[in-house]
Amino acid sequence: MAKALFCPTCREVVLATNEYFPFCSDRCRLIDLGKWASGDYKISSPIQDPDLLEELASSQRNKPSEDDQD
Amino acid sequence: MATTAIPTDTELLDNDKTTSAEPKASGGYSAENITVLEGLAAVRKRPAMYIGSTGEQGLHHLVYEVVDNSVDEALAGHATRIDVTIHVDNSITVTDDGRGIPVDNKTVNGKTMPGVQVVLTMLHAGGKFDASNYKVSGGLHGVGVSCVNALSEEFDVEIWRDGFAWTQDYSKGDPISKLRQMGPTKRLGTKVHFLPDKSIFSATEYNYDTLAQRLRELAFLNKGLEIHLTDERTTDAKTGESKQQEFKYIGGIAEFIKHLNKGKQVLHEKPIYMEAERDNVAMEIALQYNDAYSETIFTFANNINTVDGGTHLQGFRAALTRTINWAGQQMGLFKDVKENLSGDDVREGLVAVISVKLSQPQFEGQTKGKLNSDIAGTVQAFINERLGAFLEQNPQVAKRIINKAIDAARAREAARKARDLTRRKGALDGGGLPGKLADCSEREPDRCELYLVEGESAGGTAKQGRNRKFQAILPLKGKILNVEKARYDKMLGHEEIRAMITALGAGIGKDDFDASKLRYGKLILMTDADVDGSHIRTLLLTFFFRHMTELIKRGNVYIAQPPLYRIKKGRFEQYIKDDREYVSVMVKRASDGMVIRHGEGGAQLEGAALTKFMEQLNDYLGFFDKVEKRLRNEVVTREFADLFAHEGKEPARRADFESPEKLEAMRAKLEAIAKTYQFKHVGNVERDEEHNIYSVNFTDAQGAVRKVDWALASTPESRQMLAKHAQIKDLLVGPFVIEYAAKGGKTEETEETSEEAAAEAAETPATIVETRQVKKTAKGPQDPVEKATARELFNYVIEQGKKSYDVQRYKGLGEMTAEQLWQTTMDPERRTLLQVRLEDIAACEEIFTTLMGEDVESRRKFIEENALDVKNLDI
Repeated sequence: MAKALFCPTCREVVLATNEYFPFCSDRCRLIDLGKWASGDYKISSPIQDPDLLEELASSQRNKPSEDDQD
Repeated sequence: MATTAIPTDTELLDNDKTTSAEPKASGGYSAENITVLEGLAAVRKRPAMYIGSTGEQGLHHLVYEVVDNSVDEALAGHATRIDVTIHVDNSITVTDDGRGIPVDNKTVNGKTMPGVQVVLTMLHAGGKFDASNYKVSGGLHGVGVSCVNALSEEFDVEIWRDGFAWTQDYSKGDPISKLRQMGPTKRLGTKVHFLPDKSIFSATEYNYDTLAQRLRELAFLNKGLEIHLTDERTTDAKTGESKQQEFKYIGGIAEFIKHLNKGKQVLHEKPIYMEAERDNVAMEIALQYNDAYSETIFTFANNINTVDGGTHLQGFRAALTRTINWAGQQMGLFKDVKENLSGDDVREGLVAVISVKLSQPQFEGQTKGKLNSDIAGTVQAFINERLGAFLEQNPQVAKRIINKAIDAARAREAARKARDLTRRKGALDGGGLPGKLADCSEREPDRCELYLVEGESAGGTAKQGRNRKFQAILPLKGKILNVEKARYDKMLGHEEIRAMITALGAGIGKDDFDASKLRYGKLILMTDADVDGSHIRTLLLTFFFRHMTELIKRGNVYIAQPPLYRIKKGRFEQYIKDDREYVSVMVKRASDGMVIRHGEGGAQLEGAALTKFMEQLNDYLGFFDKVEKRLRNEVVTREFADLFAHEGKEPARRADFESPEKLEAMRAKLEAIAKTYQFKHVGNVERDEEHNIYSVNFTDAQGAVRKVDWALASTPESRQMLAKHAQIKDLLVGPFVIEYAAKGGKTEETEETSEEAAAEAAETPATIVETRQVKKTAKGPQDPVEKATARELFNYVIEQGKKSYDVQRYKGLGEMTAEQLWQTTMDPERRTLLQVRLEDIAACEEIFTTLMGEDVESRRKFIEENALDVKNLDI
């Protein structure tokens, strides 16, 4: 495998032999864990299917109107 | 005890007694100024009590005592240079250019002797207790030089004072000669030479670096003071000169800071320096931030390194926190910071030196490690004012410092959240397991498996389908639909992460994590076989890689392989894991005996070549559809691909758009089909001046303007489409005529029966033979079929393939029944698991970083390269 990676937090080069690998330090490890803990990591991808978008938009539109009727 | 400079015997401090003598030359420092507090007695008996130890530390302390006397002369404004020499016999000479120790007579306890003898033979003797003489003094003064004398085999003093040189020799604290008046001189100063008593010290060798460090420190703390250190034990091989160093720092502690930050990345070029005297306290403070996280603060009171801090440090810290918070507020930098910055935040990466000088300092503890004098308020007010002004006048520096502190605050907050993840553990043993976890009954970890399943519904199916003896299920919720922004967001929330950590039982973090406590031998990620599923998988793998690396190394992590299709015929059933396999299965089925002639020349395709072509076509059409979604016309899309595809690494080229030729050709094509598709308008080739590129557009039947331009060509889907197009360009030329080879020509056909047919045969031999025969007849010599385009051909072939099958495509795990999920994905006898290796995951880390990253270009490239996963073949 790659002998070195970049520390996910500070982007410093980290060697595989580092005791905190893949982080450079305990601090960077903690910061990263904190990000997981607060839901900062999201993979966001555009909805590419126009039909799905259409569907979503209409379902969004319908929701409030249904509420109104209730 | 002499740890405070407060005399125990106040009587002798009486003003009448100490100032009655007529002031003499040299600033009124005479024997009359010297007060005797205690006789020199038990020093030799209990040396450690006076100088700390009789080891290396005590040995060096002797030098500091003597040097401190000289520094005090410098502080009082009388000395400018101190020379320290280590001789070959490890004796030391300290010379200064101060006023010289008083040589006039003084009567103490009925005895009359020269002042120097009082200083050198009586403990607690010296001018330091008289505030009128030395405003400021540090060291163990007063115990001072008489101790050194007491602990030295040889001790010689030479004084230049009152127009003459004076000498006197001592041994082990006792004078062995009278004070001798030597020749006349105009020089002023004192020279002390001593040889530590080997019968007292266990260490006798002076360490050059130790002395150099302290002397350098003294030079920093007393700016302008020149200190020379010479080691006569070491000579330069070339010049024959002794090793020598000079310490002199005009910048004082600001240079000290630079010295401490040497080799570090600093946040601001110049140390922040402030100096003043207030309330009889001389304060000198310098600070500079570097990009590291540790805090380095040196505090000194009267040149004594107060290792345990004290009131001066207290004042400094309070002022620093307050001022930086204030400045941050003023500059509006705290918009997204909830709380004030803490002291720890503002001290990250700080290097500071605080030096105060005051008369009669109060210390705490044997080693004078802590300053007790009531000066916190004075120091704080001073720094509030000066640092505040500095930050106001240097907004760039202020911003950098404050942002660093904000970063520190965020890190602290992140660390807090990280700790929260594991802190709340269940009160009861085992009761701490997450509620969503459906655990297994087996307790031996090696035999247990934990399925991490995306989605509640799939989780439910998995719970039903599992073998509850050894398979546990933890459903994870991962999907958020961000409708406003038309995006899928995939994330793992706090609860999900926590549930996972708790279920695994191995803890987290450097100290807590213990792979041997893992409750399951296999962790199996089971996500949908779609883009979202792959995103959740990426998130999970990244998390494991970063925070449970050991599990990956030990091979505990697996990926389940749920099928994407099920094909079924009668009692025969086959699960297919992805689109590629699906196409190849279908094509294999259909192309049996099929021959395709294409193009004008009627070139033939059959067998393996045909299968390969169909697979390439499948890839190609996937991207083709995406491009078509932009152009909304199949023919236009095809012409676009035809005109602009290039072989090699750059399937789309900007050069094609930098001159109008190709676009004119495109325009001609558009014109040609305009009528057929009722285009309302076909525009001229236009030049975009700004970017120097050409484009052409048309208005379709719905009145929408569609553009063929570089923006279209450079999209990931276009590039992929163009690349694939270039590969199979020659084969894309229609029309395609599909024929079936005559049955007789294919003698080996029966041997070619596919695996599934064999499986069928094994299961229900009778029926199979029958259906097989029926199929053969159906498939027998047929009339040739003609298809105009590659797509039609593709659809036809797939259609032929799936004719006799019942095909089901799973859009998610939830579409499978519990039984199906068990059979295909969970049953150890039948499933395939991918074991995650560290290599894979390092790549995953890269993927993750790219997906998270700000780098749009690499993100685009990544999506493009991996776009195959995004393909969605609708059947």
